[in-house]
Amino acid sequence: MRSTARAIGDRLTDDATALRLTLLVLLLRPPTEGAVRGLTWLVAGLALAFPALTRSAVAWLALAALVFARLILDWPLSDNHIYLLAYWCLGIGLCLIVSSPFAAIASMSRWLVGGAFLCVVLWKGILAPDFLDARFFRMTLITDDRFADLSRAIGGLSEAQLQTNRNALVALPAGAEVIDGPVLVEPPALRTLGLALTWGGFMLETALAWAFLSRWPASVHRNRHLLLLTFAVVTYAAAPVAGFGWLLAAMGLAQCSEAQKVLRLAYAAAFVLILVYAETPLMHLVLAAIAQ
Amino acid sequence: MLRRVAIALPTVLLLAVASTQMILARRADLSPWKGGGFGMFASVDGLPFRWVRLYVSAPERSEEIQLPLSIEDQAHRVVTWPHQRAMRGLARSVIAREQRYQRPVDTVRVEIWRAEISRSLDVSETLFRQMTVAANEIDRPRDR
Repeated sequence: MRSTARAIGDRLTDDATALRLTLLVLLLRPPTEGAVRGLTWLVAGLALAFPALTRSAVAWLALAALVFARLILDWPLSDNHIYLLAYWCLGIGLCLIVSSPFAAIASMSRWLVGGAFLCVVLWKGILAPDFLDARFFRMTLITDDRFADLSRAIGGLSEAQLQTNRNALVALPAGAEVIDGPVLVEPPALRTLGLALTWGGFMLETALAWAFLSRWPASVHRNRHLLLLTFAVVTYAAAPVAGFGWLLAAMGLAQCSEAQKVLRLAYAAAFVLILVYAETPLMHLVLAAIAQ
Repeated sequence: MLRRVAIALPTVLLLAVASTQMILARRADLSPWKGGGFGMFASVDGLPFRWVRLYVSAPERSEEIQLPLSIEDQAHRVVTWPHQRAMRGLARSVIAREQRYQRPVDTVRVEIWRAEISRSLDVSETLFRQMTVAANEIDRPRDR
């Protein structure tokens, strides 16, 4: 019994686990239709079933080509994590050609995660005119149905207030006003939630970009896994993009050394937790219970 | 050398695509959410807050039409990045559809709108791109 558990544990934390998790991402979130969908399922399925293919550069370069094809076919509508998935598959394929492939994958993964968060920080901190003043999250918490549970549970909005607020935020012709129209109601808890999501998220993402791109200060760099795990576990409880969370978990796991078995297990657990967030009503039930 | 390429190339690609996306978003109205620049959840300027209006004109006909389901996907691509070629393509699709249903059509005007949101969350609609395409493929000079 113990030896079976140990064997499962070893399999869960071996070098190829990050690759297997990525293959799962490809199987769980394939392209929406067409030959690219079928081919992605076929190649990812075979690579998951046959360990030799899991570590095959050809299989990963083929998967990268399929993800790039998906980006071109869907242009410009693909979500950003599909771009990250394409770079990641390409990187794995190239790293599997060189000596010490898993050390190369770990380095490649670190730069890729850091680069992605750097872009996020540039957008939120500099380019977007409506993020740091919390306008984005104040709007999103009211108008985006995927955040409605959070608005009710933490923001203190009633269902009636949520509907009234949505009506109050309908776009009007410039300069127009509705006489006796619906009035926006933002309870203090909702304003605080908007600010917390804005600044908490921004600071965490800035710390992540810094920790993954720079070895200085050493303490921050050393704690990059803790930051990434915190980000994955907290963000994807609310953000409806499980694919991004799974990818970050796989990329984080790829950076753990053979000795860091607990950390590898933590990333694997984060992957499963994000699956639970996305595919079960758990968070809806928890937030509904808090709202009552 | 190959090892360095394998490690660096994905991030170089990421930064190159993201830089291009940031320039296109600033200069050519590409939505911050799309295009590989990682601007998701950074701005409200995404699909729910951008939309298209279509107007068909012909002798004894001048009306706004509902977005047909058959060109909804194309319209989503256009509002996400409303460049000239994409808008012209959408107008041509509308013209072709009207002609297929044997409805009169001389010109189609494509308007791309988005919601502008003030700091006090007043939401107003703003027309930011428009193009008129004639059924005989001649564009009007007032296009922008």
